[in-house]
Amino acid sequence: MNQKSKALSRRKFIGDAAAISALGALGVGAVISSCSRRPEYRSPVFPDQAPDGPVLRAGVVGCGGRGTGAAINFLNAGPNLEIAALGDVFQHRLDRCRNELREKMNVEVADENCFTGMDAYRHVIDAGVDIVILCEPPHFRPQSFEYAVQARKHIFAEKPVGVDPVGVRSFMAAGKMAEAAGLNVAAGTQRRHQRDYVKTYEMVRNGEIGDLVSANCYWNQSKLWHVNRQPGWTDMEAMIRDWVNWTWLSGDHIVEQHVHNIDVVNWFFGKHPAKALGFGGRHRRPTGDQYDFFSIDYVFDDNRHMHSMCRQIDGCANNVSEMIFGTKGYTNGQNRIWDYDGNLIWEYEYPLGDDGQPMNRVAISPYDQTHINLVSAIRNGEYLNESQNVAESVMTAIMGRVSAYTGREVTWEEIMESSLSIGPDKLEMGPVDIAAVPPTPGTAPA
Amino acid sequence: MSKRKLSGRGKKYMILLTAILTALFLFMGDRIVRYTSSNEFCYSCHAHPHAVESWRNSVHYDNRSGMYVQCGECHLPPPGNIRYLLAKAKHGANDVYHQIFTGPENVNWEAKKTVDRAVHFTYDESCIKCHQNLFPMQLSRDGQQAHLYYSQNEDELSCLNCHLHVGHYSDLVQEGIQFGVDVETEREIYTEPATVEVFENFTETIPGTAVDFDMIAISGGTFRMGSPENESFRNDDEGPVRDVEVSSFFMGRLEVSWDEFLAFYNQTAAEGRQDNIYATNLGEVDAITGPTPPWGLPDQGWGMGSRPAITMTWHAAETYCRWLSAITGKTYRLPTEAEWEYAARGGTTGPYFFEGDPRKFSSDRFWNRLFGTDTTVINTYVIYNENSEARTQLPGSVQPNPFGLEHVLGNVYEFTADWYAPDTYSLYPDGIVVNPTGPESGTERVIRGGSFNSDASDVRVAARSHTRHTQWQMTDPQIPKSVWWYTDTREVGFRVVCEWD
Repeated sequence: MNQKSKALSRRKFIGDAAAISALGALGVGAVISSCSRRPEYRSPVFPDQAPDGPVLRAGVVGCGGRGTGAAINFLNAGPNLEIAALGDVFQHRLDRCRNELREKMNVEVADENCFTGMDAYRHVIDAGVDIVILCEPPHFRPQSFEYAVQARKHIFAEKPVGVDPVGVRSFMAAGKMAEAAGLNVAAGTQRRHQRDYVKTYEMVRNGEIGDLVSANCYWNQSKLWHVNRQPGWTDMEAMIRDWVNWTWLSGDHIVEQHVHNIDVVNWFFGKHPAKALGFGGRHRRPTGDQYDFFSIDYVFDDNRHMHSMCRQIDGCANNVSEMIFGTKGYTNGQNRIWDYDGNLIWEYEYPLGDDGQPMNRVAISPYDQTHINLVSAIRNGEYLNESQNVAESVMTAIMGRVSAYTGREVTWEEIMESSLSIGPDKLEMGPVDIAAVPPTPGTAPA
Repeated sequence: MSKRKLSGRGKKYMILLTAILTALFLFMGDRIVRYTSSNEFCYSCHAHPHAVESWRNSVHYDNRSGMYVQCGECHLPPPGNIRYLLAKAKHGANDVYHQIFTGPENVNWEAKKTVDRAVHFTYDESCIKCHQNLFPMQLSRDGQQAHLYYSQNEDELSCLNCHLHVGHYSDLVQEGIQFGVDVETEREIYTEPATVEVFENFTETIPGTAVDFDMIAISGGTFRMGSPENESFRNDDEGPVRDVEVSSFFMGRLEVSWDEFLAFYNQTAAEGRQDNIYATNLGEVDAITGPTPPWGLPDQGWGMGSRPAITMTWHAAETYCRWLSAITGKTYRLPTEAEWEYAARGGTTGPYFFEGDPRKFSSDRFWNRLFGTDTTVINTYVIYNENSEARTQLPGSVQPNPFGLEHVLGNVYEFTADWYAPDTYSLYPDGIVVNPTGPESGTERVIRGGSFNSDASDVRVAARSHTRHTQWQMTDPQIPKSVWWYTDTREVGFRVVCEWD
């Protein structure tokens, strides 16, 4: 027997032995789990900072408030991180972002890496960056995401990741390509990176409130913002500047904003609803074609319900939160658990502030934490891909929106197979044939 | 001393011997298992004449990478567990049985090329063992959507639904874009529909096309609908037997052909797809919008022309009738279930419109399979699984029934206008039932007559079946699924009736 075959047979023996001990472990595991109710779940422990490593250069697509914020979150995440390219449709937006980065972070982005216009995203992605931060209006996300995946970039994708079923499915497929290619994808549903939420999730997952029964979630706030059209602007320019008021650009606020809360419920329930029936309407929005309130009854495949409501109207009671009910108690998802006698039975322990009192926020901002987790995954060779989760939550919100717009019940199957694709055929500055008329339930096509 | 204890040394020898035998057995066993999974072993008796040749022409042999895939890598589960050995045992036993009792020349090889058969001897897990990445960067947009759909419905789908010919080459190209574009137009183009003034057979001419077809005048009457309880292979939904009266009508001598259906398709085909949820109510289409292009080849590559049109949805068949009515000025529609059975019986009362016992004809019966049976009579009248070569057959391949209708049993299942319910007959009011139209609502439509793929027991004249809408569209990778075409049945078509008043 020569040396080589000896080594081989030894490896085979080790393989067999490992298989046997794995079998043993399985048996022991079965015994243990037959005694205890379910295996203890441990949430990942998030680092305070991403580890050091070779320089990672990021490009920002969409330099508005969120894009600028995300750029700063990225720079905060750890050492050796650079913002190397910026892109926006509008020059004034790009300039403002560039100034902010210069003043707040002492970062200078070179002229030749600043791009404007409708195709700025391509130039940013092709500018030799490692990571792309996608924060443009949601309509454009599937297109730039797919382009970034094809270019083999790691990606931070702000939510929502599309405004219609066609776009979201495209995002899902590109997300799976990213997975196959080992590209990391973090999403802007930052509650999943918020330490109090993550700890509460661990408690709930371990049965602290029993089996989950139902959930409510809310995003009721004052009017968001709008931009009045100025002389000289084309339809397209006026719409993009006013994008949070146009369904084809934002997905409407149930998708654009309330998706955060819907995502928390999907996360805690471990799945997406199977159908939705809801309504909504419009009282006081000055521009655009969106609704300013929605109320949706979501039903999971096992007939459990989630009620979701969202509103953007001044002078009303406000509430942005989730409530998740179990057989033994309930939680706000973020930091507290109660029993049904009203007793607070658990509370998240926030870190102490300078005054020695617990602060009202987690140690690391969840927005920073998202980028810390993304950079850590890249540098540690771990893997992070939130594309499927965020896409499912966005699709859930779209399912609710379509139900409210049409007045009809919409199933997951229908929305996953829908050919609904909204917005103009051509994405270029000029006229856009979309009227500022909100949908009328019972008559609206979609 | 016969019961002498084994000495320590003897024990050692016994242990050693056992170990050697075990090792030898494992070693040889492994060799045997591997040998009997090799291509050479497969060739040694696999009598399928085209298996090797079509494999060598497939992308699993002939490809840019120069790698090829062996028989056992697709036709067995991945090795390394008990499922592999069980599958080997099953296929081996099956092969030996058929080698001895059936004989390769009697195996229906055409049928084995179809998805529903192929899934029984091709393993998804083996596909995925090599094709682990369902989302490579090069994947086309359609491919992305199809694989996304697969990833959400893995249990219901097989890789073969879309990739049937990758292991054995077929010149059927899964491409529907050119479907129906080239229609021969050298023949005379009709300008007028047929004029019908008396109740007798006529030939309809479709204006603007060279297409015509025969209609048979069927005088109304009363008949016994359903099958008696002692009929072989009877199902419960075929009873109770009712006296039914139907009025006179005309019925197509043949199932609607591709020529006829393509006339409709070419005049009405819609460019885009209609969205199932948001489109206008499909029942209220004012200008008739016809089918969108199909996915794949609806004719299965069997040819079109006078061959029966297949795989259209009930909605498409019903729209065809409305279109035909509009351009001929007559009232064409799908037959009611009662009209269909009345016409199919042609005045007879037995299991078939010809002499014969389903028990004699059915290959579901072990004795028939083993010793064979005389099927001359049924072969004269019906295209079914024993004589169809797993595909539809052309007009003239069998004799008509007493009313002059061809292929009324077998060839393709035919849509009727009625909703299906298992208890339809018992719910009709007492006495003679006049022109019944089935339940008022339902989810699936009655289909009748059996198909080229049916056993003799299912081409009985009283046998009832129904559409399986969801199942028949399972692999349609279009989003939304077509309302016009089924992807997962090859067995359904239809026959029209024309009203006479």
